[in-house]
Amino acid sequence: MRYFVGRVMQALIVVWAVGTLVFFMLRAVPGDPIQALLADVDPRAADAIRAKLGLDQPVWVQYLFWIRNTLSGDLGQSLYGSHQEVSQQIAEAIPRTVSLALVAFLISFTLGLTAGIVSAVKKDSFLDYGFNLAAFLGISMPSFWIGIVLIIVFAVNLRWFPSIGYKPISAGLDQWLRYLILPGLSVGLPFSASIARLTRSAMLEVLGQDYITVARAKGLNEKRVVFRHALRNALIPVVTVMGISLALLFSGSVVVENVFAIKGLGRVLIQSILNRDYPVVQGSILLVAVLLVFMNLAVDMLYRLIDPRITYD
Amino acid sequence: MTDAMKDSKPGGSIAALPVAGPADMPERPKAWQLLLRDKRAIAGLTVLGLIVICTLFASVVSPYDPLSQEFDILLPPSTLHVLGTDDLGRDLFTRILYGARVSLFVGITTVTISMVLGVAMGILAGYFGGWIDILFMRYIDLQWAFPNFIIAVYLVAVFGTGLANVIVAISLAFLDDFARITRGMVLSIREEEYVLAARSIGASDTTIMLRHILPNAIAPIIVQATLSVSFAILAEAGLSFLGLGVKASTPTWGLIISDARSFFTRAWWLGIYPGLAIMITVLSINFFGDALRDVLDVRAAE
Amino acid sequence: MNEQMKQILAKLTRQEKARVEEEHRRAYDFDPRDPLFGLTTDELSGPKLSRRSFLRLAAASGGSLSLSHLLGAAGIVLPQAARAVAQSGGHLICGWAGTAEITTLDPAQINQVLQFQVSSNVLSGLTHINADLVAEGDLATDWSVSDDGLVWTFNLREGVTWHNGDPFTAADVVYTYNRSKDPQQSIHSGNLVNVLDVVALDDMTIQLSLGRPQASLLVKTLERSSGRAMTIVSQNAIESMGLQEYGLKPVGTGPFRVTEHQLGQGVVLERFDDYYDPDRPVLDKITIIPIPENEPLAAAIETGDIHLIGGNGVAAELVDRFLANPDLVVDEIPGNGFQSVFVNPWREPMVVEDFNLSVDELKQLNGFKVRLALAKAFDRERFIQRGLFGRGVPAFGTINPAMGFYFDTAINETSEQRFDLEAAQSLLADAGYPNGEGFPTLKLLTTPGGRRQAEVIVDMYRNNLNINIELDVKDFTVLIEDANRMEYDLLRLGSGGDFDPDDGLVDWMLSDSRFNGANRNDADLVDKYGERAFGFFSADRVDELIHEQAVTADPDARKALVQEANQLTSDKLASIFIFHGTEILVHRAEVAVPPAGRIVGLRDLDRVFFN
Repeated sequence: MRYFVGRVMQALIVVWAVGTLVFFMLRAVPGDPIQALLADVDPRAADAIRAKLGLDQPVWVQYLFWIRNTLSGDLGQSLYGSHQEVSQQIAEAIPRTVSLALVAFLISFTLGLTAGIVSAVKKDSFLDYGFNLAAFLGISMPSFWIGIVLIIVFAVNLRWFPSIGYKPISAGLDQWLRYLILPGLSVGLPFSASIARLTRSAMLEVLGQDYITVARAKGLNEKRVVFRHALRNALIPVVTVMGISLALLFSGSVVVENVFAIKGLGRVLIQSILNRDYPVVQGSILLVAVLLVFMNLAVDMLYRLIDPRITYD
Repeated sequence: MTDAMKDSKPGGSIAALPVAGPADMPERPKAWQLLLRDKRAIAGLTVLGLIVICTLFASVVSPYDPLSQEFDILLPPSTLHVLGTDDLGRDLFTRILYGARVSLFVGITTVTISMVLGVAMGILAGYFGGWIDILFMRYIDLQWAFPNFIIAVYLVAVFGTGLANVIVAISLAFLDDFARITRGMVLSIREEEYVLAARSIGASDTTIMLRHILPNAIAPIIVQATLSVSFAILAEAGLSFLGLGVKASTPTWGLIISDARSFFTRAWWLGIYPGLAIMITVLSINFFGDALRDVLDVRAAE
Repeated sequence: MNEQMKQILAKLTRQEKARVEEEHRRAYDFDPRDPLFGLTTDELSGPKLSRRSFLRLAAASGGSLSLSHLLGAAGIVLPQAARAVAQSGGHLICGWAGTAEITTLDPAQINQVLQFQVSSNVLSGLTHINADLVAEGDLATDWSVSDDGLVWTFNLREGVTWHNGDPFTAADVVYTYNRSKDPQQSIHSGNLVNVLDVVALDDMTIQLSLGRPQASLLVKTLERSSGRAMTIVSQNAIESMGLQEYGLKPVGTGPFRVTEHQLGQGVVLERFDDYYDPDRPVLDKITIIPIPENEPLAAAIETGDIHLIGGNGVAAELVDRFLANPDLVVDEIPGNGFQSVFVNPWREPMVVEDFNLSVDELKQLNGFKVRLALAKAFDRERFIQRGLFGRGVPAFGTINPAMGFYFDTAINETSEQRFDLEAAQSLLADAGYPNGEGFPTLKLLTTPGGRRQAEVIVDMYRNNLNINIELDVKDFTVLIEDANRMEYDLLRLGSGGDFDPDDGLVDWMLSDSRFNGANRNDADLVDKYGERAFGFFSADRVDELIHEQAVTADPDARKALVQEANQLTSDKLASIFIFHGTEILVHRAEVAVPPAGRIVGLRDLDRVFFN
């Protein structure tokens, strides 16, 4: 329990540190968003808006305000348009990013596990070399480029899938999936390459162990050996990777959301950076920090529960 | 865990993993010989070598100027323009060739900066321990909570775009990998007999760190550095693609692809070839790095 | 006259037909001239525009007055039978190009064309421009002007209801004025500086008091879309919904009401049954989807997923592809803006400290020679071919061809800036840089989106003058600061949505125009440059002309002033004017956009129907 409290404290400190770093660094950047916003309109309005948003206060005052507001759950408003709440923008973005991550997760584990197992079982076969090369290719391609190639082939030429956009799951499971297949592949393929390599090496290690040899010697059929005995043990390291995979999938979706114009967290983040929409940059970075840090924490805790051998001092 | 996760965290990079014991005193010639027997290494090195040579002698390899808009626009690949021309009438092959300079330059500089800083942090933290260790490690922990690419995006958000800023951002983004690896190595080495011996004859801390510890920690650092080059190249391309990268008229691979987005249907070659260039380069680095890891016997434990 | 118009005409009652034909004939009684009227009391007072002035205008806009102009623009209401060809109903799906989201529809916050293209379908103004850029009554039915041009009285349309059922009254106009005038609430308060007061004389009459006469009042300030300041909003709805919600789903009095709006996903508009014109809108429902990327946008309209493209316009590189597609209709008309390369007169070697010298005197200065060399070496045709895929026309001033009447069709031959490579090379040699030798490397400041065009410029100068220009690409937020502080050698910038000469001249070419280096007197710059009076350009005569045209009522007189100012800014090189874009409307062939609904820069969909 003490360990748990300690870890939560640590996580909170990380989140606070990230927020504070970003807060001060953003304010040192050139480029005044208010001026750009009002380039075409009344210059007097600029001062009014600065005052309204508190941008005319000294930085440390702004910082204290920011802390207070954040603690009370108020992430501020976008500098643009109808000044939408940052928390609302993020709340709308999360289901999109989660959907994408989920589809990518399914794709990468299905493909990765299959390829990894086949490679290991048929070690040094033509298939094995093929998958191995494919896996190397997978980790060597930029995900946005995979997205573009998929769009050229499957959206523009074959017209099988829409080239961009997102449909919420409320529009029907088939619609939801249709829009997420190509982006899901773009995020998932590089990751499946990693999973495949991991599965293969884990399987090979297990297949070389005594009990497998014994099982084979007992005349069990190969399928049974592979699936009942080897796979179960080989999956342990693979399963541990699942825990951290969401962070990696998120990292991939930052770029891919921008290829497919899906307004998830990644697109919100990048767009706000390009617009210098500080409150949104700040809010989305903070939220990503919270998500990642606490996800790590959760995975850690889970291990501790599952595997009593792991101890923490 | 294998290199599967190498370009990503948490839990990913080999930096994050305990390394299989301190390397023996590396016998370099032997390592090189081993490396030269490895097919992956040969393939990777050959392709990389070719790319580097082509890049250095770009003006000999291609008769054209990467910036001159002298040709018709969107010409498909032909004998005159092996990869076609772009939307402004520039030779695509030439642009990709010169783009390699930027990509490789970014890859190598960022890794160098990152390695020097990260290794320094790691050695200091591991060797002295105490508050230096706590300070550095807290920072590393902070960074470690985020995937590298996300960190690079954050940093560009703060520093702004442009070549120098992109280099700084990517360098800092995977600083923690080097620091973590080095610290781990130092911790296991610093109580070794030869270090204790050196200390007992009055060698200075600097001497011990540089002469005795660093050489013994170098193998995993080299492997990490090699694989990081491929990450850096991918990261630069990604940032450029998002509009957060190098923005001048310098052709970079990510930018060429990003600019080609309006012309996919009319000119598929504009989108495909620069991506292939990235893929081949990164692939050969990965091949080489993979082989290097096996040869140097840096094995990540599960 | 096309098939459809013939059909309509055939269905007119004999009486109507006679009337229309009579008007058609009378149209030629007047001298052809273009639309943009200033404020002559006689001609602009009265119900909408007086029929007489309208016909005069319509005749001007191309010589032949088509029936469609009469049907739509003049507001002649045809018998129901005549409209039968237009199949009513239908669900139109539009792609909004170049944007990932339509951030706001609240006129007080709107700062992009692609936003007011939507709001113009939902909200109303006192006036609205028609396809000829002439102001017509919208929520005002008619108006009169005092002899000094300072007091305007508007009669409001009876029986108009808001989308929420509230009746529309003069109080709404006064509320809108007070809201828009307040810089805390509206970013357009500057547009109302000259409007001193708005009072409700009774429920259906309002009176505006101006500080000085203003030629552009109807077309600019009171216009529902481009003006934004006096786009009428509902106090009741703003207060009950809150600003953020109102920004997404504004309650208006327009032909369509917003039923759904999710940022980044799209806007759904549905027919407003109680719209004041019973014949509009024709469509039942419109969905507007933002599509930021070219390729997906093209794929969407080619497959029929969308029917019409709005937003930031169709990328020039796609136009040829659309033209070749029989399923699509491509309608290209002159756009309303200008694009320039600004040359910093405070930086060597382009220094000019006093633009009040005559053109001949200026030509003696080395700095001016360099500026002129840069302008004369600018091959606008090649730039338009390479940079814009042919979709644009050369520019020599801020007054754009969409303004028709005020546009000077001869300026491409009279301007000092016209392309002449040999002259440019010898000017550069005279200035001390023969064949570009010794010429410093200049930086061209541009946005990421402008990079492609800027690269064409760099290549052109390298070939034509043998000089080097480097790109300095900055996000718009940073660029505009540098532009305001005069921190650049060369700057690629321009204007869009210019309906009235004021939009080009007043906003850009006055010594104290808001874009003319507005922050040049900042303390840190005073050290650097001293107390300068202007940013990129300042000439007393030009200032005089601009101030005078702004209050000149007579169109001919105003035109003369506008064109003289335009010529001077061109000859004295206020900037290197490079092109006026064209405005391209692309829609599927099954969709019909009547000419009256084709207003440059806008996407008014109330007249659009499915064949």
